[in-house]
Amino acid sequence: MALLEKAPGESLATDRRVQGLGVLAVLWLVTVPFTTTDSLTGLILTGLVFVMLGVSWNLLAGYAGQISLGHAAFFGMGAFVSAWLTTPSAAGFPGSIELPLLVAIPIGALASALIALVIGPVIFRLTGHYFAIGTLALAAVIELVMLDRRDLTGGATGYYVNADLSIGEAISHGDVMFFLTLVATVATVVVTYLIVRGPTGLGMKAIHDDEDAASSLGVNPLKYKMYAFVVSSFFAGLAGALYGHYTLYINPQSTLAVTWTIDSLVIVILGGMGTFAGPIFGSALFLLLDNGLSAIVGGFSSAVEGILIILFIIFLPTGLYGLIKEYLVEETVETDAAHD
Amino acid sequence: MVATDLLTQSVVNGLLLGGIYALAALGLSLVFGIMDIVNLAHGHMLMVGAYVAILVFAATGITPLVGMLLAMVLMFGLGVLLQKVLLKHVVDEGLEQPIIVLFGLALILQNLGRVLLGGDARTADIGIPGDGFELGFAFMSFPRTVTFVVSVLLIVLTWAFLQYTKTGQAIRATAQNRTAAKYMGINTDQIYVITLGIGTALAGAAGALLSMLFPIDPYVGWSYLLKTFAVVVLGGVGSVIGTLVGGLVLGVSENLGALYLGGGYRNVVSLLIFLVVLLVKPEGLFGGSGGGE
Repeated sequence: MALLEKAPGESLATDRRVQGLGVLAVLWLVTVPFTTTDSLTGLILTGLVFVMLGVSWNLLAGYAGQISLGHAAFFGMGAFVSAWLTTPSAAGFPGSIELPLLVAIPIGALASALIALVIGPVIFRLTGHYFAIGTLALAAVIELVMLDRRDLTGGATGYYVNADLSIGEAISHGDVMFFLTLVATVATVVVTYLIVRGPTGLGMKAIHDDEDAASSLGVNPLKYKMYAFVVSSFFAGLAGALYGHYTLYINPQSTLAVTWTIDSLVIVILGGMGTFAGPIFGSALFLLLDNGLSAIVGGFSSAVEGILIILFIIFLPTGLYGLIKEYLVEETVETDAAHD
Repeated sequence: MVATDLLTQSVVNGLLLGGIYALAALGLSLVFGIMDIVNLAHGHMLMVGAYVAILVFAATGITPLVGMLLAMVLMFGLGVLLQKVLLKHVVDEGLEQPIIVLFGLALILQNLGRVLLGGDARTADIGIPGDGFELGFAFMSFPRTVTFVVSVLLIVLTWAFLQYTKTGQAIRATAQNRTAAKYMGINTDQIYVITLGIGTALAGAAGALLSMLFPIDPYVGWSYLLKTFAVVVLGGVGSVIGTLVGGLVLGVSENLGALYLGGGYRNVVSLLIFLVVLLVKPEGLFGGSGGGE
């Protein structure tokens, strides 16, 4: 538990060199569609979706201390609402409400935020274990109802989204979606960073550490929980809307199922819960595991994921971030040597 | 309107089903009440118990009632191992760590179930669906009646164990105040091991019984976790009698929901009841302050 005591300050994210590396990483990502194959671009796009999911879930769970097991619901609803708007006829809506993708995707994200805004005051009557299980149940209700409404969702078969964005021969639909996802990912990271570094982030940490104490000092727990919940749901919805329009296919089980909640959780635990850079590292590791594990362990990949999150949470609660910080950043700060 | 005899039959079936729900929830309730841990893998443990009974039945033709005993022994061992190897590191570490460890375990069990046994639903249906007897007002299906009786028997045995044995008293003392219990010379670490063993064994038993009535696939874990948690919330955390009542209420409301709204809404009904009760009275409809927070 030594790592737990050395709770990470946020030095990594305020470090100039780290900011520089961040900019370099984004610049490299911009070149990805031009320099690699479509399938590799798609893989890295999935990684960006993981970053959005991880960062948004971490805001709610790692900072505000609300272990939500319903993240998939917001991812899926963002995907569905935006898909209804770009391809209304497939879901039986009048064709006249059809909107361009660039409008439909933010509306999908807003719809997820709106759902969070409406159910937040009710679901936050639950605390601790009850909140975790309550969100799991809520997501299950949404999934079951959406599965049952075949007219809106295509039921188990799902439906195809009509939104081909390819520009000429050179730039495919996947490439365009990649750039949109990259912009959205940078926005997610910057906005959540500003939140956790600002007074709102302090409020969230206060209620995470001790809700009663924070409350007696005049911090309104509901306000900060709602803030985290709505922002977190917005970005989960944005990720879902983008992913749905990248794959061009949506169904309740693939977008609303508990898998996306599990992924978010695994990403954050691997990277380091409650640390800002954690989920970003976690996404990279998870992307490797998600694609590499099955080659090594066959069908046992999600069991290995399960084993990893157990080992991480018990023996390395600050995750990959804690490890990196311990062995790289601290050293380089002391010796002032550039690291690469 | 639904005919009266259909309604009566539905209520009777719901009560019979509710007995197993109560048994399924009892382990979850005890672990929650005594260790203050929500076992997110409880539904998946139930799935494992079901598979043990199904495999024994498929291989030897031995009734799942015997398979149930084997499942209970194996699951008790799994529970003991789980506490001794994993949970002891995190049991008093607050909320996040135990919940995530058990979430990981659920993931592992589901994956192992899928890889080792395939994704298809299986059942240990003992092959006499039409068999049963008329009770005047309703038809009692044989498998449902047997599983109900066994469930209630196991619940009563658990209650008697907690009430009348020294270990049971030590468990209850730990549930009331673990620090005080420790000062009184109770080995609370040992109590946790036994509690988790009993909790998982009961999940295994319920799974074995359910395999006689319903198809089981590797993904049923989440849905049974929510169902059993609904029973715990209805009955009050840590209360044996409350769990029995909660199970019966859930069984009946599910069947009435399926009768009036259509079978597709069976699970939605139980989830909605659960969410509403959770929001209105999180300490449970029938329980006092059993343990909880």
